[in-house]
Amino acid sequence: MAADADTSLGAAGGTRRARFGWIDGTLVAFCLAGLGVTLASLLVQVSFGTYTMTVSEAWRAVLDPAVWGNPGVFLTFLLGEGLARAVLEPLGVSTAPVELSTATNIVWNVRLPRVLVGVLVGAALSVSGAIFQAVTRNELASPFILGVSSGAGLAILLTLVVFGGLAYLLPLIAAAGGAGAFALVYAIAWKGGTSPVRLVLAGVIVSTVFGSLQTALFFFAGDVGVVQQAIAWTTGSLTGVGWEQVRVSLPWTVLSVGLALAGARQLNVLLLGERTASSLGVAVERIRFALSGVAILAAAASIAVAGVVSFVGLIVPHMARNVVGGDYRRLMVGCLFAGPALMTAADAGARLFFELAFNQPTQLPAGIVTGLVGGPYFLYLMRSQQRMGEL
Amino acid sequence: MVDRDADHHDRDADHHDRDPTAAAGDRAAPTRSHTAPDEPSALAGVDLAIGYPSTDAPVVECERIDVPRGEITALVGPNGSGKSTLLKSLAGQLDPDAGRVLLDGREIATRSSKELARELGHLSQEHDSPGGITVEDLVYHGRYPHRGFFEAVSEADRRAVDRAIDLAGVAHIRDREVGDLSGGQKQLAWIAMVLAQETDVLLLDEPTTFLDLHHQLRVLETLRRLNDEEGVTIGIVLHDIAQAARFADYLVALSDGEPYDWGPPREVVTEELLADVFRVDASVRYTPDPEIAPRYALDDGSGGGESDGERGDGPRGTGR
Repeated sequence: MAADADTSLGAAGGTRRARFGWIDGTLVAFCLAGLGVTLASLLVQVSFGTYTMTVSEAWRAVLDPAVWGNPGVFLTFLLGEGLARAVLEPLGVSTAPVELSTATNIVWNVRLPRVLVGVLVGAALSVSGAIFQAVTRNELASPFILGVSSGAGLAILLTLVVFGGLAYLLPLIAAAGGAGAFALVYAIAWKGGTSPVRLVLAGVIVSTVFGSLQTALFFFAGDVGVVQQAIAWTTGSLTGVGWEQVRVSLPWTVLSVGLALAGARQLNVLLLGERTASSLGVAVERIRFALSGVAILAAAASIAVAGVVSFVGLIVPHMARNVVGGDYRRLMVGCLFAGPALMTAADAGARLFFELAFNQPTQLPAGIVTGLVGGPYFLYLMRSQQRMGEL
Repeated sequence: MVDRDADHHDRDADHHDRDPTAAAGDRAAPTRSHTAPDEPSALAGVDLAIGYPSTDAPVVECERIDVPRGEITALVGPNGSGKSTLLKSLAGQLDPDAGRVLLDGREIATRSSKELARELGHLSQEHDSPGGITVEDLVYHGRYPHRGFFEAVSEADRRAVDRAIDLAGVAHIRDREVGDLSGGQKQLAWIAMVLAQETDVLLLDEPTTFLDLHHQLRVLETLRRLNDEEGVTIGIVLHDIAQAARFADYLVALSDGEPYDWGPPREVVTEELLADVFRVDASVRYTPDPEIAPRYALDDGSGGGESDGERGDGPRGTGR
């Protein structure tokens, strides 16, 4: 052994390999930028709307001590009345309704939860996309190329058009439809094991078939209202979401994001190729299935509250990779900040564009804006990067 | 990819001609004389039949193959003779249809995948270099089997990585991105990665193919040093028989999915072997290094059958 060389090299390597040695200035700057955009979107979202207030008024409402200083009020928002009471009453904290100012009421009941849902959806979708890109080793992979969006869309249309009585279960059905379609794709791709190419091919085929069925179902839609509702779900929209949606999405998003962060090292090894990963002792099929499950959970958590928001899961991992590099530990953290930034900014545009430009209260589905912003950005990346296509 | 071609389908036909039972005892002799009986082979395959889901008949059939402990064993053979397939099975990456692979006398199938990766390193022929990772990052991946799910990099990991980088001679490109390196540098980086696994047995599939002469020698010298200094057992598929004859302590020649001959290079590499297995007319001299001068390719239109006459006097001639 070259013991003398070891010591000198060891010192150099040691400084670079601390537990969090992979966090560097670039990553921190990227995350701060993401945080900045998210906060700016929050500011815009809470200030503008039918009930307009000044920026300082909006901030005062967001930071209202009547909410923050009062655990009863705060937790009632976060957990819902029933659960908050169950938690707080044994602790002797009052959950009696507190008189809040109009601004605070609007901000806390309507505008803030919408931003929070945007943050959750953005984070879940981009983490989900990042996982799928590694698992399939395909740049074009996103939660939705593997059949998830078409499955969810079909389930939504079936519910709205055929089983109208089940509409109150729509979030659950949409998420289940997405997961079911992915299970189908996985089963089709399985042949004594899966391969990235077979997964993508099966995903594309299943998506096409389900897409045709969706289009067919539109013909049977009874009235325009149903069609509009279906479109809002299948393009992804944050219109009308509130604390209820935060509560639906939060636990699953936190869980899947946590698992994704824990799996980042496995993803890094998986990117070396199946054979190398397997030689290094990775149980490739098991890890691939488990991580796909995590990605599906994240995608389902976002579909259940926002429908099928396109492009976020595809673009955010690209943006992050472009800046922070291909190491999935860094990439995942980057996605956690960039995803919410894109989603909340897109939703601010979707909600306010018509209102500010034409003074009409029409709101676009956020998914349309993510597509309009994301598509050209993706093309820009493709044209400007030599190495695009190499994961 | 899978190292085989159409002539496998002929294999069954000449199977019987190729395996005279009389010669089997004769061939097994060098194995035994070379490996002391009280020290079993580091890695051995017994009664192997190896195939792929897409093929009916096994691609490789092999009664016994040994990778002697502490030596460098080269697997040689023409394209499609099943070298890579056999190596994959020995590495536990391809389950044989029948037979067993023994690592240190224990079946490899009884180990978990991480456990196996701590005892046996395997570098496949093709590997994808993901973009945006440095040589050092890549080498750290070699520590994967040594780390628990939530474990951070330990001092032992750091030492192993530094040692591997040093051994493979890639210290000067440590912080370069793998994707930007030349083919030879990339290969050395990948070799550093398997070295960081710190296994007692190392299997490599054609690590010198596509490299220039300088890098070929760098790779082989690295492996030789590892073998000399640390007694690591090495199994290596080599394309170039002359290189294999110079480099290896022990040679296994495969022909149509079966071991044709094995033993020290001097005994194995003969003009008959080159004619029978590689379908090449060549002169072989030892000066004392083996020198192989190929003259022309033998007609292979009628398959392996025509060589039976030449082989009538036994598989091994005198090396001159």
